[in-house]
Amino acid sequence: MKIFSPVRIGWSLALILAILLPLVLGEYLTSILLLIAIWSIMAVSLNLLYGYTGQLSLGHSAFLGIGAYALGLIAVKLHIGFWPAFFASTAISGLAGFLIGIPALKLRGPYFVLVTLGFAAIVGVIVLAWVDFTGGANGLAGMPRPNPIPLPWGAELRFDSLRSMYYFTLFFLVLIAAICHRLVHSLIGRTFLAISHDENLAESLGINTMQKKLISFTISAMFSGVAGALYASYNVVISPDLAYFARGMDVLACLIVGGAGTMAGPIVGTFVMTAIPEGLQIVPYLKTLINGIILLLFIIFLPAGITGGFKAFFYRWGHAWKSGKGRNGIA
Amino acid sequence: MALLEVSNLSKAFGGLMAVSGLTFSVEQGQLVSIIGPNGAGKTTLFNLLTGIYRPSTGSIVFDGVDITGCKPYQSARHGIGRTFQRTMVFQAETVLDNVTIGQSLHVKTGVWAAIARTRGARREEEKVREKARAILAFVGLADAGERPAGNLTEEAQKRLSIAMVLATDPKLLLLDEPTGGVNLEEIGGLIELVKKVQRSGIAVCLIEHKMRMVMSMSDRIIVLNYGTNIAEGTPAEVASNKEVIKAYLGARRVA
Repeated sequence: MKIFSPVRIGWSLALILAILLPLVLGEYLTSILLLIAIWSIMAVSLNLLYGYTGQLSLGHSAFLGIGAYALGLIAVKLHIGFWPAFFASTAISGLAGFLIGIPALKLRGPYFVLVTLGFAAIVGVIVLAWVDFTGGANGLAGMPRPNPIPLPWGAELRFDSLRSMYYFTLFFLVLIAAICHRLVHSLIGRTFLAISHDENLAESLGINTMQKKLISFTISAMFSGVAGALYASYNVVISPDLAYFARGMDVLACLIVGGAGTMAGPIVGTFVMTAIPEGLQIVPYLKTLINGIILLLFIIFLPAGITGGFKAFFYRWGHAWKSGKGRNGIA
Repeated sequence: MALLEVSNLSKAFGGLMAVSGLTFSVEQGQLVSIIGPNGAGKTTLFNLLTGIYRPSTGSIVFDGVDITGCKPYQSARHGIGRTFQRTMVFQAETVLDNVTIGQSLHVKTGVWAAIARTRGARREEEKVREKARAILAFVGLADAGERPAGNLTEEAQKRLSIAMVLATDPKLLLLDEPTGGVNLEEIGGLIELVKKVQRSGIAVCLIEHKMRMVMSMSDRIIVLNYGTNIAEGTPAEVASNKEVIKAYLGARRVA
């Protein structure tokens, strides 16, 4: 790979913008950016499972909820600090993914989709109905912000301002996107792609598809849990609608609009799907309608999503340019 | 001892015996053709050998190991590779990546090593790519490595599908109509490739309908009809077998 490939330049510019923007933006817009970062983490995690392994989960709201509530319950009820609670909630959502993945991934296609949806519905109900444990409809308050991290020269990294929470979230977005990038472009990632294209062929080549799918599902669930924990910590209060199954659909819509199976897709999609309703100052209940229309238009006219469409366009454009040059050479 | 020993193998779908009481063996490095009319159970037999179907009765012993009832990925790991009647390659991936994927069952890099991109992971990746290039050269696709597999001709896709199975290092290669749907003038090249595979020491089991091809290249031929083997032997023996002529080539030839 070239050091100055257009893709690398694009990612670097996006990262620089993401770092610099909150310095000039006000509180409100920074909080929007923060939410975009959180939902992007979830879209990136869903992308690993759906975009790269071909397993469509409509149940990722469950892992988001598990991550958020695990952080809240462990930190609030057990009175331990943020960091142990954060790591525990990540591990718990990963474990939940692993355990639900074992039976669910034995099924294929629509049957798998339905099991994930059912799981999300169950988690949603548990969160709402188990009042003593989760606070029910009142939600859970008093989430901790990350404890300050002492730095070697005596200062410490504090997370009490909105801006610092934003950078904290951005750090995890970059980290998780980088992990997914490494994973997808590794030899294991090749087997994920093989499964997404044709599971029977992959299996006939000696790939233990169940094991690979389970790895992808567990990692994906874990990262969704991270998104949930980050949301809980930022928002201080969480309510059952965080774990409502429609959340999983929203994230999937972002993924499809941005382009599933591409690295930038989930982030671009989340940005667009959040920025358009915000920019147009649409009342909340109309947001769903507008997002639905956007999703519909994309599925009909650009099913590969924004990034996928870009890729195809530049691929064709690059070829036309090359073959054009070839012809000139002959002439 | 034979490489593959199938004894009393049966598969029933409801009341239909797709394969019944089949017993045969394949020796190391042999090329055995399986012929028979449509619906004789040839592809079902392949599906049984590769674990796609579970046998109703009987046993499959491969390389001294009982693999009856194995899952497809396990039978591939034991060394049985196969291609499908409908050419199957990963259309959207490049030719080189297809062969890379074929080597997945040998890959040792774990999740953590892949994320950390350790030296071992990078070295293995390089090794896998090198082997993929060597296999592509072997099947005659050395120049096509960077092309999307879906852009290849049918004949080249057949070559690629064989390359992908070779990447799993099989001891026995099951080829389901490797020349099906290919132009007449291109068949010769594919036959050469199959012979080349056999010469490299891999036993080959071939399902074919093209009689001249089967007669010229097989060490042994197994004739299936209604799920049972009605004849077995060298091409010459099979060609003169009355049962075979009646079932397969038509009864009129006898008269």
